[in-house]
Amino acid sequence: MSYQPVLLANIHKKDSHALAVYQAGGGYRALRQVLKEMSPKDVVELVKSSGLRGRGGAGFPTGMKWSFLPENHPGPIYFCVNADESEPGTFVNRVQMERDPHQVLEGIIISCYATRASTAYIYLRYEYPLCLRRMQSAIEECYAAGLLGKNILGSPFSLDVHIHRGAAAYVCGEETGLIESIEGRRAWPRIKPPFPAVEGLFRKPTVVNNIETMACVTQIAERGAAWFRSIGTPPEPNNPRDPGSFGPKLFGLSGHVNRPGCYEAPLGITLRQLVEEFGGGVWKGRRAKAAVLGGLSTGVVTAGEFDTPMDFSGPLRAGCLGLGTGCVVVFDETYSMVDFLHNSCRFFAHESCGQCTPCREGTHWALQMLNRIQAGRGRLKDLELLLEIGDSIGIMPGTTICGLADGAAWPIKTAVRKFRDEFEEYVARTNPEGYLDTTPVPGMGTPQSLYSIA
Amino acid sequence: MPILDADVRKQIESHFVRHPTKQAVVLPALHLVQQRLGHVPVEAVAEIAEILELSPAQVQDTLSFYGFFKQDKPVGKYRVWVCRSISCDARGSEELLQRLIERLGLQPGETTADGLVTLETAECLGACDYAPAILVNDILHEDMTVEKLDALMDTWK
Amino acid sequence: MPTILIDNRELTIPAGQKLNAIEAARMLGIKIPHYCWHPGLSIVGSCRMCLVEIGSRDPKSGKITMQPKLMPACNTLATDNLVVVTDSEKVAHARAMVEEGLLLRHPVDCPICDKAGECKLQDYYFKYGQDERRADIRPFTSRRRDLGDVTLFVDRCVMCSRCVRFANEVSGTSELMITGRGAHEEINVVPGYPLNNKLSGNVVDLCPVGALGDKDFLYKQRVWFLESHPSVCTGCSTGCSIWIEENQDRIYRIKPRQNPFVNQWWICNDGRYDYPHVHDARRVTQPRGSTADWTTLPGQLREALQSAGRLAAVVSPFLSVEEAYLLCKLIRDIDKNAVLALGPVPTVGEDERFPKGFIISAEKCPNRRGVEAVLAYFSGQVTGFEELLSEIDLGQIQGAWVSGGYKADWIGLATAARFQRLKLLVVQDLFPSPLMEIATHALPGAAYAERPGSYVNRNDRLQTAAQAIRPPAGVRTEGSLLWELSCRKGLYSPGAVLTEVAREIGYFSAALGPVPETGVDLKANLLAQASPVQPNQA
Repeated sequence: MSYQPVLLANIHKKDSHALAVYQAGGGYRALRQVLKEMSPKDVVELVKSSGLRGRGGAGFPTGMKWSFLPENHPGPIYFCVNADESEPGTFVNRVQMERDPHQVLEGIIISCYATRASTAYIYLRYEYPLCLRRMQSAIEECYAAGLLGKNILGSPFSLDVHIHRGAAAYVCGEETGLIESIEGRRAWPRIKPPFPAVEGLFRKPTVVNNIETMACVTQIAERGAAWFRSIGTPPEPNNPRDPGSFGPKLFGLSGHVNRPGCYEAPLGITLRQLVEEFGGGVWKGRRAKAAVLGGLSTGVVTAGEFDTPMDFSGPLRAGCLGLGTGCVVVFDETYSMVDFLHNSCRFFAHESCGQCTPCREGTHWALQMLNRIQAGRGRLKDLELLLEIGDSIGIMPGTTICGLADGAAWPIKTAVRKFRDEFEEYVARTNPEGYLDTTPVPGMGTPQSLYSIA
Repeated sequence: MPILDADVRKQIESHFVRHPTKQAVVLPALHLVQQRLGHVPVEAVAEIAEILELSPAQVQDTLSFYGFFKQDKPVGKYRVWVCRSISCDARGSEELLQRLIERLGLQPGETTADGLVTLETAECLGACDYAPAILVNDILHEDMTVEKLDALMDTWK
Repeated sequence: MPTILIDNRELTIPAGQKLNAIEAARMLGIKIPHYCWHPGLSIVGSCRMCLVEIGSRDPKSGKITMQPKLMPACNTLATDNLVVVTDSEKVAHARAMVEEGLLLRHPVDCPICDKAGECKLQDYYFKYGQDERRADIRPFTSRRRDLGDVTLFVDRCVMCSRCVRFANEVSGTSELMITGRGAHEEINVVPGYPLNNKLSGNVVDLCPVGALGDKDFLYKQRVWFLESHPSVCTGCSTGCSIWIEENQDRIYRIKPRQNPFVNQWWICNDGRYDYPHVHDARRVTQPRGSTADWTTLPGQLREALQSAGRLAAVVSPFLSVEEAYLLCKLIRDIDKNAVLALGPVPTVGEDERFPKGFIISAEKCPNRRGVEAVLAYFSGQVTGFEELLSEIDLGQIQGAWVSGGYKADWIGLATAARFQRLKLLVVQDLFPSPLMEIATHALPGAAYAERPGSYVNRNDRLQTAAQAIRPPAGVRTEGSLLWELSCRKGLYSPGAVLTEVAREIGYFSAALGPVPETGVDLKANLLAQASPVQPNQA
């Protein structure tokens, strides 16, 4: 590969998290230039023209998101950085915050300048204690160096950055769930409209962006929009709604590969290249059976779909929810897809915020069925029920407020549809008596301790 | 006798300047109290509510949503989070969990009688590149095996 | 004015009205089922029962473009060219799915549930659910939890969060919370901080299912045996619109009757639980005096009044406008110099105000303003109770008619003794009192639920209450007795009296003609009054 990493360029340096090391490599040069030469509007235009799409999962164009903010708003405008990286299989933001916190911070400062935000909250999941320490000290270094606080680098622009720690709730990664959580409530995502750009944190205009997006902003400010657009996949010519997939992307590789880790590559690299060239192939000399290609919620692809390009539209063609976080989990030929789906359903039932009926009950029901199937009491008709749940919950069919249920649905849909034979074989093998049964059978039920009639 | 001492109260109040509402300090306050007392008993919930000018139910509602805060009794000296999400599961986290359950005689969520260890299961620790991983208090232990786990457990005293 | 299309029917939204799709559809008689949405609370859009298909119509070409996803009608504003489809297969499937979900862990214990018969879950399941239960999750749990003012049946809850939002937004007391996450969520209170506020009973009405039970009503009566009668709360001068729900002349519960001009959707617990006095065994139920026979009593009373000398009437602020008018007119017809005085006005503490504007008034009677207006019409002024007492002390009065209707002790021994010197003392009241003891004619009075009539609240809004139950045997309602004493023909007609009052007394002119269910504002000129906004129904 001839591609030279940009987002990860610093991470192998000694003390790469320190301000001095970052600045020695040209860090904060872009910020100085932006503050000196560009208006906030210029920066929005720059990011718009770069074609940067949010790296958190949904892939919404970042510059367009910023331009939804009301013009001439008296303020305050808030900026939230989503560092609640909780998607199973995903860890690239952790690497960035641990190894190169200043690249992220520089992006935050530039983005706040562009959006005229005066306060930024970094919503950091509690599971990342080292990130907390590194980000905290990076922020302190910035305050000391005049890169944060009042009149940054002598300009009229002032900004405060606070870290807000999460407390083990996946749904805080949803932007309005995150906002509710910062406000001190349970992270029940808000119904939209109003959208956060109009009425978000503390009922003020708010932008929520991902950590990796921030690092991309730094690089766009440093290297320009043309550089960014020179990397990646251009829009599909026959799809007018495809804005293209530009720029470098961080890909996490884990599961049954020889070299798990965080790698940088242009958008559009194929899954096979990632697994073979970066991951060193499947471990123990085995063959791949399936992979999750963008975090658990995007669903699975089969070994036959490994040529899927990892950009914003490739995974869609493979029947997945989307590129998601771009974090790949590879499964070898020995791994059971029943176990995979059980793990997935357990996760989403555990993390459903419980607000919308279809998600709260659907994820719970799916888990109960997977419990039963795994325990050898599955029936063929359960597969139909699972598919029906998968097809009808989520923001795509419109039956829930946020996308968590889509995340629950896609693993169900893709696993059961793509590995139907394996599921049928498992059910028939483990429940030879009852797999064709069409009458109701007792379920797993609720734990005995909950069963009390007062 | 209030359960929160003046120091914790001062730390909670120091967060006021960061937010336009006092309710936004609920999570920071819960973290501070969890860290100090090892748990957030109902009495502490009421005191936090008083400091933040909320009703106790508003604080308790938030607390109960998040998996991190303990209420009934303090966590052990070592709070062990075993990741059981997909990457760790694929690389053997279930064995680690079973080993811990076996050696500690605990179910996830419980604390040993001597208050030494609390066993927890975690949804993705975001350490998939080091799977299977466990988090012990603030320290991430990477690429765990049952042997490494045994050696680690021997150091818990 | 915005025009929208719902199920291919056009609807023009009246100017100035901000409606969501549920409210707009209702104007066409199309029901969109919903649990979590309530017009008096913030929108969360979480139950997903009101999902509909949404689109827009191009005003020029008339071309309709539909959105691919379902949208909650509760959060869809009825703006110009909106297209709503509520009867498609897609919508039907979504509704059936929500119903199936809500019943996954529900105990389906309708036979022992108070809500059965008025339960949204039940009603919607019959209408929108599917025939077969496909889930095999069991066993069910059915737990009961004391939340303070109300009882929670934990597993019947559908997590609409109405009660929690009510406690946060309307009562402002925030005692209720949701605990846990996902399928483990439950409504609860913090130990030691129970649900305890003066509006708490409303959460039971708000609950769309049988999760929240009113401790006062629990297991007392099946709702399908109850008959509802529109009435007005007489607990304070706010004058909330209420439903009195009874079975065979026994009141089982009071519920708020929606009135955007008075109480919105709420009533306070004081009013809600104000009915036991109606069925109190200590009530006076038989007349006592020269004769205790109602066939001859009216004639005797009239004669006694005519021969007593100078008369006075104590007009209670618990009387309706019609009753006050009849009483004043009767007494003045017999003695044109009679003193007409306002009865004591009970006041407790100060007005209690709640975040969204609900007020519990300090003045604990329903009709001071109405009675004062009647008194002012007859006397040109309002004579206070103390003034009357002084006149009695001076020996200027020989006969008096005292109306009571108070729910608690209202007159002490010393005050009552000052009436001792009168030759004639007619007292009509609910409960025995020192005054009743010394009355020459002690007449049983009827409670508010037993009398039809109109009351004027603190904001000059006149509302009419229907008779909800019949009074106990032996009791003649104030209105019918005064009607007969006034030698009017036929049965007592409060409507006819109110029309007369509205013609005679300028203050009441807006009450001429039929009084709407939400009452009339006496401050406004009837002709200038725009038709009231059609109230939303919860």
